[in-house]
Amino acid sequence: MFANPLLIVALLTTGAIAVWGLVDTAGLATLSASLVHIQFTSRAWFIMLTVSFLLIVTIWLALSRFGSLRLGRDDEKPEFSTISWLTMLFSAGMGVGLLYWGAAEPLTHYLALTELDESREAAASALFLTLFHWGIHAWTIYAITGLVIAFFGFRLGCPSLVSAPIGKVFGAYPIAKTVGWICDLMAIVAVAIGLGGSIAMGVFQIKEGVEALFGLSNTGALLTYVIFGVLVLAYILPLTVDLQKGMAVLSNTAMGIAGALMVFILIAGPTHYIMGGITQSIGDYLGNVVTHGFRTFTFMDERVESWFQSWTLNYMVWWIAWAPFVGVFIARISRGRTIREFLMGVVLVPTAFSILWFGTFGSAGFHAALRTDLPILDVVRGNVSAVTFYVLDHMPLPTLTIAAVVGAAFLFIVTSVVSAAFVLSMFSTSGSLDPPVRVKLAWGGLLGALGLVMILSGNIDTVKSIIALGALPFVFVLLLLVVCFLKALKAERIPVS
Amino acid sequence: MNPLLDTIMNLEVFAFIGLMVWLYLRPTEIDRQGSPAPDDPDDVKREA
Repeated sequence: MFANPLLIVALLTTGAIAVWGLVDTAGLATLSASLVHIQFTSRAWFIMLTVSFLLIVTIWLALSRFGSLRLGRDDEKPEFSTISWLTMLFSAGMGVGLLYWGAAEPLTHYLALTELDESREAAASALFLTLFHWGIHAWTIYAITGLVIAFFGFRLGCPSLVSAPIGKVFGAYPIAKTVGWICDLMAIVAVAIGLGGSIAMGVFQIKEGVEALFGLSNTGALLTYVIFGVLVLAYILPLTVDLQKGMAVLSNTAMGIAGALMVFILIAGPTHYIMGGITQSIGDYLGNVVTHGFRTFTFMDERVESWFQSWTLNYMVWWIAWAPFVGVFIARISRGRTIREFLMGVVLVPTAFSILWFGTFGSAGFHAALRTDLPILDVVRGNVSAVTFYVLDHMPLPTLTIAAVVGAAFLFIVTSVVSAAFVLSMFSTSGSLDPPVRVKLAWGGLLGALGLVMILSGNIDTVKSIIALGALPFVFVLLLLVVCFLKALKAERIPVS
Repeated sequence: MNPLLDTIMNLEVFAFIGLMVWLYLRPTEIDRQGSPAPDDPDDVKREA
C-alpha cells in the first residue's frame, strides 16, 4: 500500500481537503465559492463549448464508419443483455439526484424565471432547463469518458485508468508518464469530492423523508448525524467482502423503486396534466437542446449570470466530476458493444428516461403550484430538500411513497459509495481489478469524511461549489482523452461489412 | 473580476486548445504502428 506514490498522494490530497473542511468548514466553503466564481466567470464559454464539442463528437462517431467498431474483439458478443445493460448504466449515472431534484429543480427555476418575467411560459422554460441539465449533454460527458476507457481497455489492452490512453498514444514523450499520473490524481480528487457531495445530498433528503414519515420537526443536527452514521455502517461492510453482484441487485432494486414511483405519480396524480407537460417538454427539448448548449447568457444581467453559474455550469462540472467513476463503470459493462450501440444506449435511452422522470415529477409539482392553493413554492424557497416529500404528501398513499423514496435514496447512496470506493482503489493501485480491502476501506472512510464536510457546510449551494472546485481541472483531462481517442481511431482498421 | 487575471486564465485556455490541436496533428507511435489487426486482415481496409 505504501509503495504506491499515487495512492499516498491521492489519500493525502483528499484527506487534507476533508480535514480542512472538518476544522474550518466555513473557510473551505467561502474559498471554494470564490475560486469557482472566478473560474465560472472567466471560463464559462470554455465549459459550454467543451460540452457541446463532446456532443458533436458523439453524434459524428455514432453516424460515421467508426460506429461499427466493437469495444473488444471484432467477433465479441456483449456480456449483458440490452435491458440489463441499460438499467445498470442509468442507475450508476444519476442515482440519488433524481429523487432529490425531480420536482424541486423545475420549481426552483420557475421561481427564478417568474422573478424576471411573469409569463406562464416560465413553467415550460423551467422544465426545459431542468431537462437540459439532466439530458443529452450530461450523458455525452459520461459516454465519451466511458467510450475512451472501454476502447483502450478492451480493444487495445490497456488498464482501466484515465492515464492509460495518454500512455498508449503519447508514451514516447518523456513527460507523458507525469501527465498521466497527474490526470489519474485529478480523476481521483474529482470522483472523491463528487461522491462526498452525493452523500451529503442523500443525507439531507433522507432526513427530510424520515421527518415527514414520523411527523418529526426541529430535529436539528442530531437526526442528520444518526442517518449519516447508519449510512457509513451500511457501506463499510460491503467494502470488506466481494459483493459486486449483490451491489448490482441493490442498485437495480433502487432503480426499480424509482421507476415504480414515477408510474405511480403518473397514474395517481393529475395524469392529463403530467402527460401534457411531458409532451410539451419533448417538443421544447428536441427543438432547442443543441443551440442551448452554446448559450452562455453573456448579454443578460448579473442575476441571470449568477443563476447560470449556480445551475447550468455547476451541473456540467458535476457530471464531469462523476465522469471517471461512471465512465469506468459503463465501460466495464459494455464490452462487446459497437461504438454506435454504446453511444445510442448511453446517451439516448437515459435522456428519454430523464424526460419522462422530470416531466412527471415536474408537472406534478407545477400542478400543485399553478392549479391548487398548496404553498409548494414556499417550500421550494424554504427547504428544497423537502419538495419531493411535499409533493408525495399530497398524493394517495403518502406513507408508502415517502418510505419508498427514503429506501431508494439510501440504496442509491450505499451502492454509489461502494462502487466509487472500488473505482478509486482501482485508480490508485495501477488499475488492479482486485484492490486490497484496506485500500477500499481507506477510500470508504475518506468518502465518508468528505460527505461529513459537505453536511457540515449546511446547504446544497456550498456542496455544489466544493464539487465544482474538485471537478474543474478534469475538463482539461477530458479533452486530452478525446484527442488520444481520435488519434487511436485514425489508426484503426474498419471491418468491411 | 480582475481583467488581468481574466486575460491570463483565458490565455491558458487558448494555449491548451492550441496544444490539443498540435498533439492531434503531430504523428506519434500509434499513427505509425496502427492498432492491433482484427482477426482476418484480408477483410479490412486501412483507414487514411
